[in-house]
Amino acid sequence: MNYKNKNLEKLSKKLEDLDIQNENTGKIKKERGASFGFKISTEIIAALVVGVGIGLIVDNYFNTKPFGLIIFFIFGALAGFLNVYRVMRRIEKQR
Amino acid sequence: MAAKDSPLKQFEIDPISNIELGGYNISFTNSSLAMLITVLVITIFLTITVNTRSIIPSRMQLISELMYNFIAQLLSDTVGDNGKKYFPFVFSLFMFVLIGNMVGMIPYQFTFTSHIIVTFALATVVFVGVTILGFVNHGIKFFSFFYIPGVPFYMHPLLIPIEVISYLSRPISLSVRLFANMLAGHTLLKVFAGFVVSMPFFTGVFPLAFIVALTGLEILIAFLQAYVFAILTCLYINDAYHLH
Repeated sequence: MNYKNKNLEKLSKKLEDLDIQNENTGKIKKERGASFGFKISTEIIAALVVGVGIGLIVDNYFNTKPFGLIIFFIFGALAGFLNVYRVMRRIEKQR
Repeated sequence: MAAKDSPLKQFEIDPISNIELGGYNISFTNSSLAMLITVLVITIFLTITVNTRSIIPSRMQLISELMYNFIAQLLSDTVGDNGKKYFPFVFSLFMFVLIGNMVGMIPYQFTFTSHIIVTFALATVVFVGVTILGFVNHGIKFFSFFYIPGVPFYMHPLLIPIEVISYLSRPISLSVRLFANMLAGHTLLKVFAGFVVSMPFFTGVFPLAFIVALTGLEILIAFLQAYVFAILTCLYINDAYHLH
């Protein structure tokens, strides 16, 4: 009986240690640099691609050559920053 | 360097059998073969491991159950109770990307997720599906998604195009992220593999050691990208339910 209890005590101590370890690794978990940069850059590029695409289509249809591209490029850039802002807010929420 | 030694050679499509239907080239290529292998691996693995249906799961059954729980948890965390309907969709998408990336990590095996057309097709399915879902749930009111409340009225002509572009950029950012990660990783592996052969004496050991480490990292990225694809799909489904 005594022997069994000792073993159980050992086991519970081991489990506690593991729990503490797990908590510690959970805290250290952070966004890795490269993947974080990648996330941000694709957001900006994707919005710019859409903006430029719409600009070129508008120019083609309405014959307004450089203006559609210029205006929608600026819109695209702003949308890119908006996307980045949203991604950052989502990441902040997760923490 | 000869073209056949190029690190980009691995992304070339060669048709295994030439099929043409109604003027379209629908050949069965090495990319299609990789997709077929992926689907077979998923189907066989899941059916065999879950077949025993034991209450105390075996190791393999545990893996399937972990994957199931992972996506189910993701959906209930991001979408809530509404999300249960979309479990089959998100789960198959996640498994297809994950196993596709993993199959691509096997040497000499083609990685179909390193082609933008594949990832863009997947992202387009998500985008079109979510947009239709938004219209089904909210009808014409779905357009108020682009209208930000609490902003001075004269700002709206500026903000609405920005919101629309931001919405349209979703499939592009979703597909480019997966595609570029896989493309960059596999190219890097090949470039360093080239160093192993071309460096003098025994110094080729160093790039070899680097490749071993990089392969581990690539497997992590393969999982991470599948996870990102799944979680963004969940977030978009959530947006279609709760405007703002």
